[in-house]
Amino acid sequence: MSETSSQSSALNGPPPTRFVQFKLVLLGESAVGKSSIVQRFVKDSFTELRESTIGAAFLTQTIQVDLNTTVKFEIWDTAGQERYRSLASMYYRNAQAALVVFDITQESSLDKAKYWVKELHKQANSDIVIALVANKLDLEAERKISTEEAQTFANELNLLYFEVSAKTGENVKDTFREVALKLPIEDKLKQSSSRRKTVDLNRRQNTNEQQCAC
Amino acid sequence: MAASVDTTLRRPSMAERRPSMAERRPSMNTRRPSVIPHLAGIEDPVFPSTPEDCDVLICGTGLVESILSAALSWAGTNVLHVDSNPYYGDTTATMTIEQIKAWCHNVNLNTPGFHGFAKALMYIPRPAKLNSRDYSIDLTPRLLFAKSDLLSLMVKSRVYRYLEFQSISNFHTFENDTFGKMSSSKEEIFTDQSLSLATKRSLMKLMKFVFEYDSEGNKQLMAEFGPTPFLKFVNDKYKLSDAQVNELCFTLGLAPTPDISTLAALARIRRYLISFNVYGSFPALYSKFGGPGELSQGFCRSAAVAGATYKLDSPIKSYDPSTQKVTFRDGTKVNVAEKVVCSASQAPEGAKNVPERKHQVNRLITIVERSCKEWFNEGESASVVVFPPKSLDSMNNYPVQVIIMGAGSGCCPAGQCIWYLSTIEKDQRGRKDLESALKKMEDSILRESEDGGFDVDLTEDDVIVRPDGSLSVINSVKLGKSFKEFAPKEKLTYLFKLMFTQFTSIDPLDSHTGAPSTTSFDDNGKNSIPGPDQGILYSQMPSTEISYDGVLAEVRALYTKIVGSDDDFFDVDFEDDDENSSPSGPPAGGVGAAAGLQDESAIIDEDGEEFKDEMDFEL
Repeated sequence: MSETSSQSSALNGPPPTRFVQFKLVLLGESAVGKSSIVQRFVKDSFTELRESTIGAAFLTQTIQVDLNTTVKFEIWDTAGQERYRSLASMYYRNAQAALVVFDITQESSLDKAKYWVKELHKQANSDIVIALVANKLDLEAERKISTEEAQTFANELNLLYFEVSAKTGENVKDTFREVALKLPIEDKLKQSSSRRKTVDLNRRQNTNEQQCAC
Repeated sequence: MAASVDTTLRRPSMAERRPSMAERRPSMNTRRPSVIPHLAGIEDPVFPSTPEDCDVLICGTGLVESILSAALSWAGTNVLHVDSNPYYGDTTATMTIEQIKAWCHNVNLNTPGFHGFAKALMYIPRPAKLNSRDYSIDLTPRLLFAKSDLLSLMVKSRVYRYLEFQSISNFHTFENDTFGKMSSSKEEIFTDQSLSLATKRSLMKLMKFVFEYDSEGNKQLMAEFGPTPFLKFVNDKYKLSDAQVNELCFTLGLAPTPDISTLAALARIRRYLISFNVYGSFPALYSKFGGPGELSQGFCRSAAVAGATYKLDSPIKSYDPSTQKVTFRDGTKVNVAEKVVCSASQAPEGAKNVPERKHQVNRLITIVERSCKEWFNEGESASVVVFPPKSLDSMNNYPVQVIIMGAGSGCCPAGQCIWYLSTIEKDQRGRKDLESALKKMEDSILRESEDGGFDVDLTEDDVIVRPDGSLSVINSVKLGKSFKEFAPKEKLTYLFKLMFTQFTSIDPLDSHTGAPSTTSFDDNGKNSIPGPDQGILYSQMPSTEISYDGVLAEVRALYTKIVGSDDDFFDVDFEDDDENSSPSGPPAGGVGAAAGLQDESAIIDEDGEEFKDEMDFEL
């Protein structure tokens, strides 16, 4: 891990005071670059050879959407379970945003993205924000799927549409920022104050009096 | 690329190629091919067929199999994990209404993949008002004691991060037609005005013994009385009422039978007492949106992260131990280098080696149109009710245990509640006991329900003052008695009712320890009868226990059977990725704390030091 990019809070003024956390899931066929996009967003790196799609749980990254609001994404990768269409219902539960990724150099990959959009409509909350993401902009010369074609598909299904390159980082951060701006931040802020108590298993009372975030 | 390294080589046996601790650090591991992601733009994303090779094939994604899969995967074993159903969870699944309807149908047809269950009876009144996906119904609901081996493992493995947990404080005992809640902490016993001084002394003496029974000083006593019935032991040695003994044994201890030995009962009561105040003033927790079915999914995800391959909807047809090939029902084949593990429920058709499952648990699951908040502690959404032996009109020989899940548990919509009743009493007798208990619950909720429009004036005797000054109602007994004559005008609306029988190899007397029965693990002997499942190692089907205790012991036994020892069971180093080490870092100015947000990311630290976890304790 390197201390490359220091801080997204280059904005002036007092630090943000409002925090909201959202679960974001990644979907799409194997090999379209789902993990690379997250890697680029979270660590601002791109590695051709990595060992694991993600660690033991999921990755998180914060993004400041305005002067006093920070959105924290809890990003769930498929961990390979999409390969045989064997994602668990847990994966979709309470996901408030989804990136459905396809590869502009693979002709069939847009069609396959349609399957995942359908799955989202079936399994996820009805108000989920879905973004269709075209990856591998760096391979423009090998492009098989035109922007128009993908954009039309996205419009039909009312999806956000972005084109990115995980390899160069082009448009990756902006994609997450745009998704964050579409999220029901105000509702979530209201909701979290009235949420029912959950217990953090990593915080025992007799060793740590700190209570969970209720 | 590395993914094809071992497709042709006959792999050495597990013991020979066991990697060192260092090798098994995720960052050092080169022998975990399927973890390597598909390289961008190199591979064709064609829909893949079943992988051709694996070290261990696991059939069934129930909780035991799922933890096993994760444990093996993190130890560097190449696991292919399949399920004959299109959903996760198998015998411990959490289901929607539509899924459970299909499940019932299959159980009654005795479809392969649904073995181990029988006589499913379902009732949904018409017109059905249920929106299938609003419900998470557990086939085997369970409670998580705050101090338990599985909880420690979930923290260590980080699987708890996939789940949400809520507390459960109220353990009610049904006595004399009412629900009572026992004084189970020292403070409560001291301040409980309904107890005489002599009783208080006796209770305190017994509580003390519960903590000390395995000390050196009690060795002789326990050698003599340990194997004898607890109820006799406690009646001979302590001056307690039957009601108090019942509460201790059946409610706090969740003993499944009055035949329970002194040793087992003491262990069970201690489990409750030591779990108290670990996370707060409650002994147990449960996972939101469903129990074992959710945990299974969490462990499967963990296994997938470690490289296991998942394929649902893939029933197996046969295993040939001479060629080590498994054939699936769709005709595809896979080479299994080490072992085939199969849930008894998913045994191939014509199986000859499924372990005997002579123990039964009868279950009754209902959804009622009531919030049932009267039974929950403030701010909570679940509780436990136990009907001790002989407390029902059916003169039940065994206790009926009930887990109640309200809407706040995420398992049903607001204004509704799920009741899970179970007993180890067999066949018709068991079903009668369940119906009898259900009737009592119905009467009770109609009496106690605020929805009925009755207010109860509490007297000082019904309230205790806790040491910290807060008030707590202890006497829900009173609440019941005062309305004993009240004939409900309203009827309770049942939205769903399901009764079924489940079989298991695990003796109820051992269910809290999960001691594997000898027959189910004897693959050298009984598992070698020629047939489509010769050589398959079977798991035992969920126990009758309503806590998670015993689950991990079975997983470890299976793990040992496969690997040779469980020394390196989940011996993985995870480290939290604290915000300081994350390149993009936290927002400036320590505001994370101000917002009450904790860092939730956990990734494998490449130079991970040995894991030090304060939760790492054993009972």
